[in-house]
Amino acid sequence: MSRGARIPNLGGARAFVLHRPHATVQAISRQLAAIGLEANDCWPELPPDVLAGDFVFFDVDMGFDDQFPWRPGEAPMPLIALIGSEAPGRIEWLLSHKADAQLVKPIGNSGIYSALLIARQAFEARKSLAAEVAALEARIGERQTIVRAVLALRGNGADEEGAYRQLRSLAMGWQVSMEEAARRVMAHKSEGLGDERPQRA
Amino acid sequence: MKRRVEIGVLYSHSGNYRLISDACRTGVMKAIAAVNADPRLPVEFTPVEYDPQANIDRYAAGCAEILEKSSARHVIGCVTSWSRKEVIPTLERSNGTLWYACPYEGFEANDHVVYMHACPNQQLVPLLGYVVPRFGADGFLLGSNYIWGWETNRVARDLIADAGGRVRGERYLPLGEAGVSRLVAEIEAARPNFILNNLIGTSSYAFFEAYAELGRRDPHFTPETCPILSCNLTECELPAIAGFADGHLSVGPYFHDAEAHGWDAAVSANMPGSSFEASASACVHALAQVLAVNPDAGWADLPAVFASGAFKGPFGDVRIDQQTQHATLPVEIGRIEGTSFRTISLTNGVAPDPYLSRYDRRTVFPRPGLRVVS
Repeated sequence: MSRGARIPNLGGARAFVLHRPHATVQAISRQLAAIGLEANDCWPELPPDVLAGDFVFFDVDMGFDDQFPWRPGEAPMPLIALIGSEAPGRIEWLLSHKADAQLVKPIGNSGIYSALLIARQAFEARKSLAAEVAALEARIGERQTIVRAVLALRGNGADEEGAYRQLRSLAMGWQVSMEEAARRVMAHKSEGLGDERPQRA
Repeated sequence: MKRRVEIGVLYSHSGNYRLISDACRTGVMKAIAAVNADPRLPVEFTPVEYDPQANIDRYAAGCAEILEKSSARHVIGCVTSWSRKEVIPTLERSNGTLWYACPYEGFEANDHVVYMHACPNQQLVPLLGYVVPRFGADGFLLGSNYIWGWETNRVARDLIADAGGRVRGERYLPLGEAGVSRLVAEIEAARPNFILNNLIGTSSYAFFEAYAELGRRDPHFTPETCPILSCNLTECELPAIAGFADGHLSVGPYFHDAEAHGWDAAVSANMPGSSFEASASACVHALAQVLAVNPDAGWADLPAVFASGAFKGPFGDVRIDQQTQHATLPVEIGRIEGTSFRTISLTNGVAPDPYLSRYDRRTVFPRPGLRVVS
C-alpha cells in the first residue's frame, strides 16, 4: 500500500459470509461476484478452509465466539461486521472481534466495495502495528541482557562508556541489533570464553 | 395488437454536453420508432420525457417524476456519472431501472442500472495498450473537475506506472470552463508522449483548438508524435472541433466507419451516427426484447433474463453480464478524419470488468522478451 493510489486488486480473492440463509447473503454474494471475488456462504460455522480466505463477513445479530476457529480479536484476515440490531451487548461482542469494517443491514448495492478496501487497509495497518509493538517489546525485554553484556565487557578493562561503545561496534561488525550482539557476548561468556574478546565477523 | 408500454427518457436538451445528450436522445427515439414499427414485437413504446436542463439537481427529481407520475419502470438517460449517481437512490426507492448509454469510469455495479456503454477495460485500458508501444508511456492527464475525470485519470496513473512511464502532469478544469491557455503552456513545458483528455463539452473543444495552435508552433505537439487520447469522444462532437482534431485518437464500442465494418451504402445510411446513439438504441432494443417475453419485467427480473441470452441491436448480438449488468461490447480505436473516424483497431466481444479485477499488466503492456546471451 506504499504507493497510495493503485488499481485495487480484489480479483480472485475469497470471501466467507457467515450469516444464516437470508436476502442479506444474496445481496453480499451478488456484489462480491460483481467485484470479482469468490463468495462462500456458511452458517452456523466457518469451514476449515476459511483459514485460506481473504475476507470474512460475519453476522453480529446471531453470532457467537464458537463459530470462529480463532480467539476473539485474532482473526488472520480482515473481518467485516454485518450489523442489524444496534443493541449495546451485540456491539460490545463485535468490538471484541475487532472487525475492520462494518455494514449496516439491510444491505443493498452500495457499501460492500468500500467495506472491502477499508477492512483490508485497517487489517494491514493493525497487523504491521502489532508486529512493530512485538519487536519493540522484544527489545525492551532484552534491556537486561545489554546491561549484562556491558558489565561483562567492562571486565576486560574498559570503562562503562568504552564497554558500551565496544558492544555497539560488535553489533555493527556482525550486522545485528545491539540486543543480538549482547546475547552473543553473554553466550561467549557462559561458554567459558568470557576472558577472550569476541571475534569480529 | 401491441401492448403499449411507457418508458422514461431523461436527457438534457441544453447545456455544455448537449451534443452527447442529443445523440443519445436521437438513438432512443429512432429505436422507439423501429420497435413500434416492428410487427414481430408485441410491445409499443411511449416515451415519457423529462428535461433536467443540464442542472445536476434536477436529475433525481426528474427520475422520481417519471417513476411516480407514469407507469414507466425503465428509464433511459443520464450522460454524466454525477447525474447517474444522483438518480440511483430514487431508482432504489421506486423500484426503477436506469438504462445508461454512456461510457463511465467503472467501479460500480448497481442492480438498478444496466450499463450499455464501455467501462475502463473496454476503453481506457485497451487504448493505452495500443498507444504506449507506438508513442511512449509518458502521459499528461486532463479532466473536467468531477468523478469521470478524477477516476479515469486515477486508473490511468496506475496504467502508466505499469507501462514504465511517468505522469508528466495532471490538471482539472471546472465543467464548462474554456480558458485552457495555462494548461497548454504546462503541456508545452512537460513534453509528454500523449495527452489523455477527460475534459468534457466546451472545455474539451477549447482544448483541441488550442492544442492545434500549439502544434503549429512546435511540431512535437502533433498527432504523429503526441496524440490527444479520449475515451468518450465520438462523431457527435466532431463538428465542434472540425479542423483541429484530425489524427487524434478515441476509443469506443462503435465508430461509423463503413469500410472497417464492410457496410454497403444502404446499410451505412441506416447505422447510428455515433456510439452514444448506438448504445442508447441498444438500450431500447434490449428493453423491447426483455418486455416481449415478460411485459412486467422489473429490475429484479433482469438478471435471469440477461442470463438467458443475447439481445439484437446496433452492436450486433449484445450479451449483458447478469452479475454486473454491464454489456459485452466491441472495442474500437478510431483516428479522427474530419467529421468521422477511421477504425484502426477492432476487437469484438470484450467482456466487461468494471472493477478491473481481471486486469493483468503483463498482458496489457507485454515487455519485449529478454534474450539469453550465452
